[in-house]
Amino acid sequence: MKTLAALKVLVVEDEALVSMLVEDMLGDLGCEVVGPAAEIEEALRLAGSAEIDAALLDVNLGGRPIFPVADALKARGVPFAFASGYGEAGLTEPHKGSAVLQKPFREADLRRVLEGLAAQVA
Amino acid sequence: MIVLEADVRAATEEVADLRRRLAEAQAAHAEEIRRNQAFSRIATAIGAHQSLGETVQAVIDGGVELIGAQFGAFFYTVVDQTGENYMLYALAGAPPEAFAHFPMVRKTAVFAPTFDGVGVVRSDDITADPRYGKNAPFHGMPAGHLPVRSYLAAPVKTADGLVLGGLFFGHRDTGRFDARAETVIVGLAAQAAVAIEWNQAGEAGDRELTERRRAEERLKFALDSGRLGSWELDVETRAYDASDICRSNYGRGPDAAFGFDDLVATIHHGDRDRMLAAMDEAIRTGGDYDIEYRVVVPSGETRWVHARGRAAVRYQSDGDVRGGVRRMAGVSLDVTERKRAEERQRLLLNELNHRVKNTLVTVQSMAAQTLRAADDLEGFREAFEARLIALSQTHNLLTEQNWESASLREIVDAELEAFGGRERLDFDYARDLRLNPKATVAIGMAVHELATNAAKYGALSGAEGRVTISWTTEPASDTTPARLHLRWTESGGPPVTPPSRRGFGARLLEKGLAGELSGQVRLAYDQSGLVCAMTLPLAALEP
Repeated sequence: MKTLAALKVLVVEDEALVSMLVEDMLGDLGCEVVGPAAEIEEALRLAGSAEIDAALLDVNLGGRPIFPVADALKARGVPFAFASGYGEAGLTEPHKGSAVLQKPFREADLRRVLEGLAAQVA
Repeated sequence: MIVLEADVRAATEEVADLRRRLAEAQAAHAEEIRRNQAFSRIATAIGAHQSLGETVQAVIDGGVELIGAQFGAFFYTVVDQTGENYMLYALAGAPPEAFAHFPMVRKTAVFAPTFDGVGVVRSDDITADPRYGKNAPFHGMPAGHLPVRSYLAAPVKTADGLVLGGLFFGHRDTGRFDARAETVIVGLAAQAAVAIEWNQAGEAGDRELTERRRAEERLKFALDSGRLGSWELDVETRAYDASDICRSNYGRGPDAAFGFDDLVATIHHGDRDRMLAAMDEAIRTGGDYDIEYRVVVPSGETRWVHARGRAAVRYQSDGDVRGGVRRMAGVSLDVTERKRAEERQRLLLNELNHRVKNTLVTVQSMAAQTLRAADDLEGFREAFEARLIALSQTHNLLTEQNWESASLREIVDAELEAFGGRERLDFDYARDLRLNPKATVAIGMAVHELATNAAKYGALSGAEGRVTISWTTEPASDTTPARLHLRWTESGGPPVTPPSRRGFGARLLEKGLAGELSGQVRLAYDQSGLVCAMTLPLAALEP
């Protein structure tokens, strides 16, 4: 279990204004932002090799689903949460039940989700 | 000899008498044969199930012949398809024209007993009958009527007493119809009644058959027009019969084998159990069968079919329907288009929801960051509203184009409109570009931030400054993809210096826009004015 302070969080988000918001919130929570990645190739590269503790994934990345990134993180044992306007309804079958941050969200919602992820960090 | 003569005379008279009696007997016999032949002809005509007109004509012809009448008429009531009663007649011994110019026969005092079915009217001289001449306007036979003195009329009525019409006979001489004639005509009237009833029953049957055929045609037309297929299933034998349209719903031609097993096999495996369960339920309870399922037609395409049906229930004496269903019948409709439309609508709603939620987060982000940089609430409000409207402008452009794309020139124009001073803007480009929705919003917001900055601190803050917006595209090379070079160049304004802290605009441009569109954005605070140079891959911009 890690605390949020210094938690390295990969942010995958393709909209500049949204990723700026997430970066600011993560900064307020004391986390370290990795990325943000705005495209799937960059996200896959970071998910596979960057030093990260957790990840926050926008479900739809410029019209392309984020699930390959989620699979890569799962393979590495990195806990992650989806950020989506659809809520859980936007998830495909193997990912239903994953942590979801419903957009729009408050900083407190982000904290709660991140604490859930941090609890899974060995 | 006298005795002999007398004997001879007597014998001769006896022979003459015998001859006379023989002749009488022969005449009577001939009359009997003639009458029998007449009866036979009538019976044959009735038995032949000819048309009503032909039957009636045979009756009246036979009647005239049987009783030696000069004229005969048969007036009878028919009911047409609209239920209207009207009278027809057949004539014997006179051409049809003989009655054609008279008004239709009325129930006068003479005719009433016949048309009311009271009984026979027989008169040696009808003109002497107390009932004769009682009715206006003619008071007797109208001028030009066939000359009738001897008169014999009998009602034609069914065994139930329903009067179908009347038989009328006449002769210009008096005293022509005796009791025997009356008996003959009463018998004939009974036969005529049977014949007419037969005929009407047959016509009613024909009408019902015609009506049923028409109803079937109407049903088929309705089914065909609505592309409704019809089907029928024998529950016990599983014999399945489907109309051509029904077959086509399952991708089968009119001649292809298509039994119940084929039907079940055609249904998508994911829906098959549900379909069979619904059918069993309808058969078990005698209830309605109503289901939508997917079918995989022989071409491999998946289509949607809506099938409805009802079990034809045969209730058992204890009221239980179990085992009482023999067959099911129903309709089927190809609802693929509707299903696809529903799917499109569902996707559109999801997409709309996604966009709304995304926009809300964008607004949330703008509010949060405007607040961080604001010196006071008034400053926050001004900057936030301006950004909100800038975002809204990009949405307007996208909405006009079905949220598919917007033109770069229009995006820049829309964002700069709020700042006025159009004469201080210069454009330099060879070709306009269309941008995808994401790039539209990103570049729209970027231009808004640049213009806001120029109006506050840069070229648009004084009276003399100008802004040049220029762009070129660069084709792909071995090392770089095709790119857009978009440049914002300020001149003639106050000298600019890099800000002490990076504001929202600079952050959005250098980090946000560059990251979002996978390019580079460089801000240069030249002495002559701010220059913003964007290099963005076309792949990230194009619709």
